[in-house]
Amino acid sequence: MRQVLNKSRVLLEVWFSHMSAYRAEIVIWILTGSVPLIMLAVWIGQAQAAGGAIGEFTPQRFTAYFLAAWMSQQLIVAWVSWELDFQIRQGTLSPKLLRPLDIFWEHWFAHVAERFIRIPIMLVVVIAGVMLVPGTQITPDVPHAIVYFVSIQLGWLIRFQIAYCVGLLAFWFDQATAVDELYFVIAAFLTGAFAPLELYPPAVRALIEWLPFPYTIYYPVQILNGSLGWDTIGRVLLIQIGWGLAFVGLRRLLWRQGVRRYGAVGA
Amino acid sequence: MHLSRYLKLIRVFIGASISAQLEYRANFVFGLLSAILTSGGALFGLLILSGGTGRPIGGWSYREASVVIGLFTLVQGFIGGALSPNLNKIGESIRLGTMDFTLLKPIDSQFLVSTRNVNVFRLLDVLFGFGVIVWATLGLPAATVGGLLSGAALLGAALLLVYAIWFILTTTAFWFVKVENITELFSGLFRAGQFPISSFPTWVRMLFTFIIPVAFITTVPAEAIVGRLSTASALGALGLAVLMLAISRWFWSVALRSYTSASS
Repeated sequence: MRQVLNKSRVLLEVWFSHMSAYRAEIVIWILTGSVPLIMLAVWIGQAQAAGGAIGEFTPQRFTAYFLAAWMSQQLIVAWVSWELDFQIRQGTLSPKLLRPLDIFWEHWFAHVAERFIRIPIMLVVVIAGVMLVPGTQITPDVPHAIVYFVSIQLGWLIRFQIAYCVGLLAFWFDQATAVDELYFVIAAFLTGAFAPLELYPPAVRALIEWLPFPYTIYYPVQILNGSLGWDTIGRVLLIQIGWGLAFVGLRRLLWRQGVRRYGAVGA
Repeated sequence: MHLSRYLKLIRVFIGASISAQLEYRANFVFGLLSAILTSGGALFGLLILSGGTGRPIGGWSYREASVVIGLFTLVQGFIGGALSPNLNKIGESIRLGTMDFTLLKPIDSQFLVSTRNVNVFRLLDVLFGFGVIVWATLGLPAATVGGLLSGAALLGAALLLVYAIWFILTTTAFWFVKVENITELFSGLFRAGQFPISSFPTWVRMLFTFIIPVAFITTVPAEAIVGRLSTASALGALGLAVLMLAISRWFWSVALRSYTSASS
């Protein structure tokens, strides 16, 4: 246990200093994930044109929803498939295989460390958004904020495992990053970054509920905004854990099969 | 300038790009999937935004707003297929010093860095975008031949404008070297271009008209096609394209003056 804590601390420190060097670049990446903010502007325009609200969504509720969605999207960012694709195709994976530590943890801590750099800028954007639309209430109370924190970690677990699985596809074919780009196109509509799922046609929404995507952004946001009862929140958390574990299993399977196939460049 | 010589070069460059990329057939499948999902997803998104086509989007009907989606997809294909394969390499060739070879060739250097490569598979987005525009226009009784022609002209101006913006952004690599991400920043903001500019609240509209001219890239050509074009915005779009192109030309000459190659 002590050893695990020590390793974690060292990895986190190393990656934090690494990421600090790239902070300007990270700021640019933060600003590129702009879909929820653009959608916020469009939906406020729609609400104003419809005489103040669409369904139960007033400009204030849209603001609370999309600011939380933007923040959540920032917190579940994963670029690990690009890293894995590069390491597998260029053969830089080979020396890492010799280490007495699964390469998974290195990527994991790199992502975790990077998020600490994001947090200050995220807070600035969220506070500015709340001030621009007076009367916006992101969260009703502290318990919801705390449960959101747990829920978004589970959302991040799901997203990271999916990205890792996609990256591992590079063992079999050289288009892993293209699959990840497809994920982005699909996820924009299925995670709830485009619109709250309440505004989807009921049949489409029923279908989306069966997929992992809404559990990465939509449901954590609903928890933070205080739109769900506590019994529903418990169910959401359980489903999140289920999806997370399912993708952990898939990742381990892909890793075992993939490494067996791996013939490093030049080896 | 020998125009025919430059046209011939463009033909050669495109031919070389195509034969190099056809080796990777799997890319075609992904290019196709991506084009289908991008344009299909955008149309689906519009459906949600209009609440099942009933609610207008910034005063535009579903079909009218679909024209904007088509133009957006088309311009994205142009960016991915023609701009980023060329312009995003400027930074790398400055870092490695291979810009020397470009500058030594007996043709215009801005022309060469801008046209050398084409990503054939991303050009599928251009086809799909065009398809969406045709489909949307067929459902518009108000569409006229004159409107379509001025729409085509304004689309041309929009492509030149996008080119000039990307070119200026990537040319800053002469001073900042690592600028690949700076174009990502533009792409992020450009996503606003998939909706008519009138669907945004007033101050956002200002931002996307006067500071980041997204409105002139998709909304203005679409206005021409659906028959809402005002003379002011048409002249504005054309003027802005010419102006930005001239600035990109001037910016390139300034940048070249500060180029000292990689090892000197």
